[in-house]
Amino acid sequence: MPRPRKLLVSQSLLVLIFVAMTTLSYPLTAAEADDGNWRIVNYWSEWCAPCRVEIPMLNELSVRLANSNVMIVGVNFDEDPRELTLEIADEMGIEFTVLCQKTVDLLGMKPPDVLPTTYLLSPSNEVMAKLIGMQSEQDIIEALTLQGLTPLTPFTD
Amino acid sequence: MIRPIGSPNAALLVFLFAWSVSLASGAAGQARLEHLPSPAPSNSSLSRVVANESGEIYLSWVSQDTEQATLAFSRLSSEGWDTPKVISQGNNWFVNWADFPALSVDSSGMVAHWLQISAQGTYDYDIRARFYPQDKASWTEAQTIHTDGISAEHGFVSMLPFDSGTTLITWLDGRETKHGDPLGAMTLRAGIFDKSGANVKEWELDHRVCDCCQTSSAITEKGPIVVYRDRSAEEVRDIYVTRLVEGVWTVPQPIHNDNWEIAGCPVNGPSVAAMKERVAVAWFSAKDDTPKIQLVMSSDSGMSFSDPIVVESPNTNGRVGAVILESSEIVVSWMDTTDEAKIMLSRYDIKGEFLGSTEVASSSASRRSGFPIIDAVGNSVYVTWTDISTTPQVKVARIDY
Repeated sequence: MPRPRKLLVSQSLLVLIFVAMTTLSYPLTAAEADDGNWRIVNYWSEWCAPCRVEIPMLNELSVRLANSNVMIVGVNFDEDPRELTLEIADEMGIEFTVLCQKTVDLLGMKPPDVLPTTYLLSPSNEVMAKLIGMQSEQDIIEALTLQGLTPLTPFTD
Repeated sequence: MIRPIGSPNAALLVFLFAWSVSLASGAAGQARLEHLPSPAPSNSSLSRVVANESGEIYLSWVSQDTEQATLAFSRLSSEGWDTPKVISQGNNWFVNWADFPALSVDSSGMVAHWLQISAQGTYDYDIRARFYPQDKASWTEAQTIHTDGISAEHGFVSMLPFDSGTTLITWLDGRETKHGDPLGAMTLRAGIFDKSGANVKEWELDHRVCDCCQTSSAITEKGPIVVYRDRSAEEVRDIYVTRLVEGVWTVPQPIHNDNWEIAGCPVNGPSVAAMKERVAVAWFSAKDDTPKIQLVMSSDSGMSFSDPIVVESPNTNGRVGAVILESSEIVVSWMDTTDEAKIMLSRYDIKGEFLGSTEVASSSASRRSGFPIIDAVGNSVYVTWTDISTTPQVKVARIDY
């Protein structure tokens, strides 16, 4: 169950709460792995400088995609134990969901050869795009557009 | 019709049979694998095996508990492993599956390094080292071997004994990544240190290299040779070589133009071995998403290299090593990812003809299994790796050819 958080007033913060309630320690079940969502799967490592540079962008984009059928998730490239992975993710300021290994296996993901690497998975968990190297928001939007996806909604207060 | 023993035709048949058996044995390269007891404790990993000039084998590893990390080593004698000795301990180390401590040993002493976080709350780290002059029989105080004073990433060290008791240390240096617009790139640096740790000389070998691939070095008849993964302005990350010739490093050159354009780091460095004028370099690439391990050879101390031999493709994730046996045959270690991962050794003759492969141990493609490391003594190869099937533990094996 997501950890309860204090209710706040503005709509933007409610969105943040929604995102926070679904992040970090909430592993996907088999049913959720087949939930009709597109997934942007970002492989990261704490010692990968370009990976760390991407995180604030991915955090913000994750918020902006919250009401869409596209979600951003992360995978620890170093495959540390779950507790350590969550600790590292917290230290790195990752605010989007970090998948556990079981979920990665459910999604049929294999670790990339290169860091950083970001995959775009279809709702049927097919790899539709593989983005190698540090990505900008524009790079990810373009990858989504190529799949006919325009999920971004205006970010309003 | 059965011919009686002793007849000329029977004798010929026996001779031919015996000859074919010996040929098959020679061609297949019988290898005898022996798993050795490990001196490392449970919760150990990040091991390396290294031989000194006398053929003595040393094993180093890192063990961790909740409090700290410990770098220790042991020497293999005729009676087994010596009682492990601690080199250094700390609770502020940077402990990583791909960038890990090295030990260099020769008759003048030892040098060991580890990585230490530069400042709390950062991902920057320094290369710390201790030196053990044999005539002092004690370790020096820990020192940072790079002198930039910049909080940045420094690591992926290779070390080897050099002239007159000195040690050549090569490393990736991130000092340039902290300034400039745009920020600078990871660089490759090398330094010569005397047996007490004093920096004799230092150079920048390459101003732009791949950020997180291991470096490797060896001594040829004409001096040291260093191999590493370069990074061009167009993000081509091929393997390059530079040599120290009469006090000057040669302009880095590719050992082979893979033309692997990749915008990220493969975390897979090359490995070089040398014996007099003979040099062997093994490396991983994945151009066009096709993983491949290749081997090139040189008979002129690394001035030129053969066309590459494909050791394995595509069932590998790299993590290569290379050694040259006393017989001049070359052995390449690599990870086979067909089904369950396996640590493999492949052997080649002096002309590059494949002689056979030996499975050393089952492993895991997981990062936590780290990088197998090999070294050779005579016609034997020592291999060390981390077994993560239960609690991680360093393992060791010897393969006699």
